[in-house]
Parts: sequence; C-alpha cells; structure tokens
Amino acid sequence: MEELDVPQMKREVESLQRQLGMGREKASVTVTELVKWVEGGYCEDPFLNPELMRANPWVEKSKCVIL
Amino acid sequence: MAAEKAEMDKLKKECDALRTQIEAARKAVNDGSMSASAGGVAGLGRIQLKLRKNLKGHLAKIYAMHWSADSRQMVSASQDGKLLIWDTFTGNKLVAVPLKSAWVMSVAFAPSGNLVASGGLDNICTVYNIKAASPKTLRELDAHTGYLSCCRFLSDTEILTASGDTTCCLWDLETGKQKTVFTNHIGDCMSLALSPDMNTFISGACDSLAKLWDLREGACKQTFSGHTSDINAIAFFQNGHAIITGSDDCSCKMYDLRSDQEVITYQDPSLNAGVTSVALSNSGRLIFAGYDDFNCHIWDSLKGEKIGVLSGHDNRVSCTGVPNDGMGVCTGSWDSFLKLWN
Repeated sequence: MEELDVPQMKREVESLQRQLGMGREKASVTVTELVKWVEGGYCEDPFLNPELMRANPWVEKSKCVIL
Repeated sequence: MAAEKAEMDKLKKECDALRTQIEAARKAVNDGSMSASAGGVAGLGRIQLKLRKNLKGHLAKIYAMHWSADSRQMVSASQDGKLLIWDTFTGNKLVAVPLKSAWVMSVAFAPSGNLVASGGLDNICTVYNIKAASPKTLRELDAHTGYLSCCRFLSDTEILTASGDTTCCLWDLETGKQKTVFTNHIGDCMSLALSPDMNTFISGACDSLAKLWDLREGACKQTFSGHTSDINAIAFFQNGHAIITGSDDCSCKMYDLRSDQEVITYQDPSLNAGVTSVALSNSGRLIFAGYDDFNCHIWDSLKGEKIGVLSGHDNRVSCTGVPNDGMGVCTGSWDSFLKLWN
C-alpha cells in the first residue's frame, strides 16, 4: 500500500468532499426496490424459468426423431 | 520538513473527519435491511446444474475468460501463451491468438465481436483484430507501470483497463493514447466492471475497497469498504443499482449504490478459500462465485444462503462468466479446462 504525498492527500480531501456530497436515498426504499426488480426478472432468467432452458444451446440435439 | 509534516497531519485529520461524516450520512439512511425487504421472498431450494461441456485445449493455467455479446463465442486466456476463441455450441476452437507475453491475467471480447484484448505482467493491453485472415495486433496500449489485471471494451474505439499500478485507465483505440486516468485507489486494482448504461464503472482493489467512477469526468463518486482483504472480483446488477464483490477475505458482498451501503455479506464458516471471480444470473438472484477451493459456489443473492456448488475442477477456479442471454455459466480453472454448466 503506497504512502501518499501532500498533493495526493489534497486530492484525497477533494475526493472525499465530493463523495460526501452525494444524495443518499433511504435503504428501506432502495433495497425494497432492488428486491422487486430482481423478482421481476425471474421470467427472463433461464436459471429460474425452466421454460427458457428448454432450448438449451449446450445440449446435443437428440439423434432420434419421433416419426 | 516540519512544515510539510504539519500540513500532512492537517490533511490526514481532514480526511478522517470527512470519512466520519460519510459514515454518519450512511447511518442516517440505513433504515432498512435485506432481511426486512426480502423477508417475503420464497426460497429457491437447492440449485443443481449439469456439466454440459468440458473444453480442453489450453496447456497451462487459465487466468481469464470473457463471453462474446452473441452468447455463443467465448475467449479464454492461459499462461500457455495463447488466447483461444471457442464456439461453445459445438465446443470447437475457432481462433488461436499467440501472445507475445505468456503472463496473461485478463482477456476481453469487444461487443462487436471483431476485437479481443489481453494483458498481464507485461503491463501492456494488446488489442487484436480476430476477423482478419489471421489474428492481427491492432494496438499495444503501453502506459501502465504495473500489471494489467482487467480490461473491458466499451466499443471498438474505447477500452477500460485496471492495473497493479493502482490506476484504471480509459483508452482511445483510434490513437492508442490514454483519455482518462482514474486515480484514487491505494492498492493494486484487480478487477473492473462497466455499468449497464456505460456512464460509470466500478473497480475492486488490494486496498480492500470498491470504487464507483464517473467515466467521462474521471472522478471517484463512491467508495465501498467492509472487506478485510483484496477485492479480486466485481460485478454490476443489470439495473445498475447494486454491485457484488468477491474477496481474498473469503466473502462476497452486495453494496447498494443508491443508499451508499453494504447490504449483505455472503460467507460460510466452512468456506476458507478466497473468492477469485463472480458472475450474476440475469435477474441477479443467483451469484456464481469462483473460489480457491476448486469450486464455484452458488449464492442466493436475496437470502444470503449458499444454495449450490459446481464441482469438477482439479484446481482453483480463476474465472466465471454468464453470457448475455443468461443460458448458463462458464468456469475456467488453473487445471487448464473450461466447463459450461446449466
């Protein structure tokens, strides 16, 4: 881990001031919205929607055909 | 000498005060939790995936892999000194790119599919045109003073790199020059990921911090702490609002960008191996994390539980990736094989 010199420390102070200034939203809202968004994505997620996995690109096509 | 030390002390005090204020600002919005928000979410049970393909071809440790945007081709990098481009539907190797330096640590596929990039202990990011009759070196991006740990294309004309020299860099491929240098980490940068809207990116470093950067302004917007060792892997949720990190401290963490905090830690007392790589399923519900214990473990991102494992490699899992269509997951290992699972 490198030691900073004076100019780098000054930039770190400026950076921290900028980072402090961001608008933080309430976690009760943002985390709930994140959960909703994840749940809304299940139908498009092949790991969670078996219908999508039917057309599995990594499985050998069957050699037998039902006539 | 004394004056400089006095100024340093003053600046250090300012930094400490600002960090304390940032922690206070985080606490002020920490009125929720994942267990509260995900309380009503149904558990998934055990996830069991099948090994669909075992891709053999490399002759030494695989260090990196990256899916093409077409979800069919994939590029892998090995310290046997080659990049291999695979057609994962057939298992065939399409292109072999011989490397000038065998000590490769990262590889990337351009979204267009026309270019791949790699780099490592040579400190250089080399970009290759793989659509030419034989792979042609397009650019050698040579300005980092430390190893290249990660690279990602924004397009055929811009690429982002992360380096052991503690900086990340945005390059213009038309001129071969650096556009922006992102300086703020105090340890080797190990990993980066682009936000879905391409306005920001995140980096993980050996200073155990993850940082969110504004791509165009070059400034660090947010810093996420909590890990107690190197962050080796990092990924965005596809809505751009949360990130997952993987660390040598044997845990993964989720950070929520909007409330600027750590939301959940994924760790298990039986897991005493560092995390090398992370990838998310398309909805973000599943985290695929590669570990030094030769396995890729599957975590339920909302419940914080380990719900599956991909076993089969004979050495450390060094890289993991889910293609854009989300149809499966690829693991690459020091055992020289790549495995496809779904």
